[in-house]
Amino acid sequence: MAKVFTCRLLCCVVFVGTLSGGMVAVGDEEQAAWEQWGKRYEEKILPIIRAKCLECHQGESPDGEFDLSKFPDGTTAVAAMDTWERVARRVRLNEMPPQGSPGLTDPEKGAFHRWVDSRPNQDLCHQLASDETQSWYRGHVMSRRLTRYEYARAIRDLTGFEADDLELPPSDGAGGLGFDTVGDALFTSPIHLEAYLRAATSAIARVYDSAPALTPESLNLVLQDRQAALTFFPVQEEQNTEPKTAELEAARRTIAAFARRAWRRPVLPEELERLMQLHQREVVNAGKDWLQSLRAPLQAILVSPNFLFLVEPEPQTAGVQRLDQHQFATRIALLLWSSVPDEELLELADRGELFDESIIRQQIQRMLGDRRSRALGENFGLQWLSLRDWRSIQLDPSIFPEFSIHLMEDSIEETILTIASVFREGRPPTELLSSETVWVNARLAKHYELNNADVVGWQKLPVGDSRRGGVLTMASVLMKSSFPRRTSPVLRGRWILEDVLGDKVPPPPPNVPTLDESKETASAKTLRERLELHRTQPDCASCHQRMDPLGFALENFDALGRFRMDDDGNPIDAKGVLPSGEAFDGPDELKETLMRRHEEFQKHFVRKLVGYALGRDLNKFDQCVIDRSLDRMKEGAGADAILEEIIFSYPFQHRYYNPARSSP
Amino acid sequence: MKPTLGNPFNRRALLRGTGVALAIPWLHSHREAWGNAPASSPLRTAFIYFPNGVWEKDWVPTATGSDYALSPSLTPLADVKDDVIVLSGLDKKHSHGGDGHYAKTANFLTGMPVTKTTGKDISSGGISIDQWIAQSLRGETPLPSLELGTEPVISGIDSNVGYTRLYGSHISWQSAERPVAKEINPRLVYERLFGKGWSASSEQAESYRNLLDYVLEDAKSLRMRLGRDDQFKMDEFLDSVRSVEQRIEHAVRHPEREPAPGDEHLAMEKVPAGVPRDFRDHIAVMLDLMVLAFQSDATRVCSLMFANDVSGRNFSFLDGVSGSHHELSHHENKEEKIDQYQRINRWHVEQFARFLSRLKSISEGDGTLLDRCMIVFGSSMSDGNRHDPDNLPILLGGKGGGALKAGQHVAFEGMVPLCNLYLTMLRAMGMNASQFGDSTGILPEILV
Repeated sequence: MAKVFTCRLLCCVVFVGTLSGGMVAVGDEEQAAWEQWGKRYEEKILPIIRAKCLECHQGESPDGEFDLSKFPDGTTAVAAMDTWERVARRVRLNEMPPQGSPGLTDPEKGAFHRWVDSRPNQDLCHQLASDETQSWYRGHVMSRRLTRYEYARAIRDLTGFEADDLELPPSDGAGGLGFDTVGDALFTSPIHLEAYLRAATSAIARVYDSAPALTPESLNLVLQDRQAALTFFPVQEEQNTEPKTAELEAARRTIAAFARRAWRRPVLPEELERLMQLHQREVVNAGKDWLQSLRAPLQAILVSPNFLFLVEPEPQTAGVQRLDQHQFATRIALLLWSSVPDEELLELADRGELFDESIIRQQIQRMLGDRRSRALGENFGLQWLSLRDWRSIQLDPSIFPEFSIHLMEDSIEETILTIASVFREGRPPTELLSSETVWVNARLAKHYELNNADVVGWQKLPVGDSRRGGVLTMASVLMKSSFPRRTSPVLRGRWILEDVLGDKVPPPPPNVPTLDESKETASAKTLRERLELHRTQPDCASCHQRMDPLGFALENFDALGRFRMDDDGNPIDAKGVLPSGEAFDGPDELKETLMRRHEEFQKHFVRKLVGYALGRDLNKFDQCVIDRSLDRMKEGAGADAILEEIIFSYPFQHRYYNPARSSP
Repeated sequence: MKPTLGNPFNRRALLRGTGVALAIPWLHSHREAWGNAPASSPLRTAFIYFPNGVWEKDWVPTATGSDYALSPSLTPLADVKDDVIVLSGLDKKHSHGGDGHYAKTANFLTGMPVTKTTGKDISSGGISIDQWIAQSLRGETPLPSLELGTEPVISGIDSNVGYTRLYGSHISWQSAERPVAKEINPRLVYERLFGKGWSASSEQAESYRNLLDYVLEDAKSLRMRLGRDDQFKMDEFLDSVRSVEQRIEHAVRHPEREPAPGDEHLAMEKVPAGVPRDFRDHIAVMLDLMVLAFQSDATRVCSLMFANDVSGRNFSFLDGVSGSHHELSHHENKEEKIDQYQRINRWHVEQFARFLSRLKSISEGDGTLLDRCMIVFGSSMSDGNRHDPDNLPILLGGKGGGALKAGQHVAFEGMVPLCNLYLTMLRAMGMNASQFGDSTGILPEILV
């Protein structure tokens, strides 16, 4: 308890500090904010209360024993503190003013909620955006279906076999901070359903087809070898049991265990009964043996919405509530693995031990050590760096004959391993900006002109100089930010600003005369000269003076990401000067410059990760977890600490439930 | 995940394999049902979208009426000129705001305002015209509609303009809030249309039916326990389950409509799966599948996106073009870029013309399949350099069962909504609609 208290206090200090720029003494700042809040009460809220509320809520026996006349000014209103949250709640639910009395107009309601929301020094660390805490809140969907990626990972972990690309549902769009984990942007079309049927059928068929003999033992050997969740229970013929009864029992146990793993929770007796009916239909109607008849219920488990959807059913009462242990386990597994929880995690949930801080910490480390944490690179990483659509990158083979699917695959693998390893090895995220090592295989090492003689498979190599290392100089990124036939300093600069530093670069304003229409361009020969002309126009300069210098520093890399000193005989000029006066020449100095701005990068990286984990846009209540993560970074913690902070955080462990609709 | 680029896709095999086998059930069932009177054979509609606009000066013919000369970009239409109406001057006023692309693509077929959002409250303003038609024809065909494309959904959001990029990947909207996912894999389209998994007698269909029954009950009971917001998501799922169920039920009710499994048909199933490596092959096979779908009456409504909006596809495979589509659409009024942009435009028209010719080569009743079609072909902006949502480049192929006055160029003056075309098409289909999207009336000029 003491620990929680200290932390609350600390967080409040951090928050206020952020608002005030960290220079003003907290006490004074706070005092002023409260006075301001009280003053707004007198100006905006008190007239409403006098006009609409006091008729009932005053005097000797005020309605609801709630006397609003006790708050005739700002000072008393401030002292009442939490009272206003409760009032806001009643108003929001349209419970107050009651029917039959003059209600509040929309502007009055708005003014009231805005005032309540603006209460200073809120404890943001232990709240969630909800109807009660934000006047503009309109409900956050958390029950969503699995994404295509998560679905593929889950099928793999449950059945031990990778699903064929062709069987998978179509790709997903993104929302929130740019990730497909956002329920609002995930839709279900008939072709999804068709894919689910197809994939579940093949997934189970693969299991059956893989065993040399159709016995539980033989199947289990294959499944264990592939670390599948599915296990077949053998028929245990004991004395006095009918063979059929023993088979039924084996089927029941197999189904129950698989459903528990696929649905990430204990299975209810009536659910098990329905699955058993599918089994019995095969046995009785189709005359199949008990093992063959298991195909149908196993498929059914994988097309059930209990598997396909992240369901967090409504508890009895609406409002903000903590997730139950199994829901929490699923959120953790989706964040770290983009897949379903494994046995260990589920057992902890079964025993109700998962909210224990030290256990969570252990589990995070254990799960990061597992091969499945690759998902942090492949799912989070590729989406963060706008590389999810890498298959659409097409360089012109007539200019770049070396461009190949292998190069693309290798460079994407490098990206995945680099990002995943920052989490797995607990390295500071700034190593993504600048690092002394790169992940390569022999082919990529050659592309990077590194000594590839001893490279076997994928491994981390020291780079020797700072040309390589970090996301900026990866072939994947350099190809992505090029045109099919040449590099683009503008695209590269914009990519750094947006994806690395989290800046915004608005699209070109409409009706700006393009530089080619002006007369001077005739004399400008090189791209650099043309872009420099561009920047003489104020409309263009505001963005291009930020983007172009960053991109020019990467001109030492051609569109394939190969290092070069000249372009077709013209020496490369990789100098850049930012509006701030910061100057650099080439990739190594660019990295140094960015390392000086590492706080911007870290903040962006943390925000992205929080947005990915929560599957939605962020709001003020998420600031707390961002601040805590950044504090941990300052103390030198690795990227795994951000995951810890997210998993410990209030928004990750809670959700807001709307009242269920009574009529179906 | 393995890349799918390596698979040679034999399109010829597909056509050889299916054309014959499929023609038979069609003739079989429908000749009997409708006799030879073309008036009773069904109308088909398709909506084909291409991204990044056109170079208008080479697109819009100078003359109007039936005696007009094809513009440079439209020359590929020569053989089907009498089956096409060129429409110029149609506008989409609800795309005047918003950003350059996303707010124009998502409402190409809805005509209504697109909600500016990076995820929350996604809306294209209304149902799209293809889905409107599909919903009113529900039950008539095995599939209510087909939604096709060539590229996966664009990932990410555009945080500068404040739109989710998924808007740029969807033109079909089942409702304002619900985009319909498109299929980009030709093999899966084929399986949807003619796969034996859906034929009434197959063991697979029996298994699917049992699974669907089970899932439906699961979803219903789950729905009861969900909160208000989450119930919407489960409703979507339930609708999809029912839609697949109807597909199977249709097969049960109309066994005569199932394609006969002939030898050629089996040959198709051996065609390597995957997305064709060459974009030209990909488009060609998608258009062929649409022909097959219409010919076999597997569906009467299709939408196809040649590519997602802002597609950076490299068009260097065309003579005289070196660069990507989106890059060249920002031609900056430079002659050399305009020339390449225009070549890309013309290539798109070539594909459309070939599609129409194929529909025309298939006889149905007293005429051709094309006579029974209305194929909209267009983009959601005019000049790609300016992102202009007015004066849209729109072509309408087919005779609409005799309702359309094909073989002319109609130039509309003032603000005439694109949705007026859609409303006119509904009228041509005999559908009783007084309004669609932002329509203000029909286009009498294109009706007989």
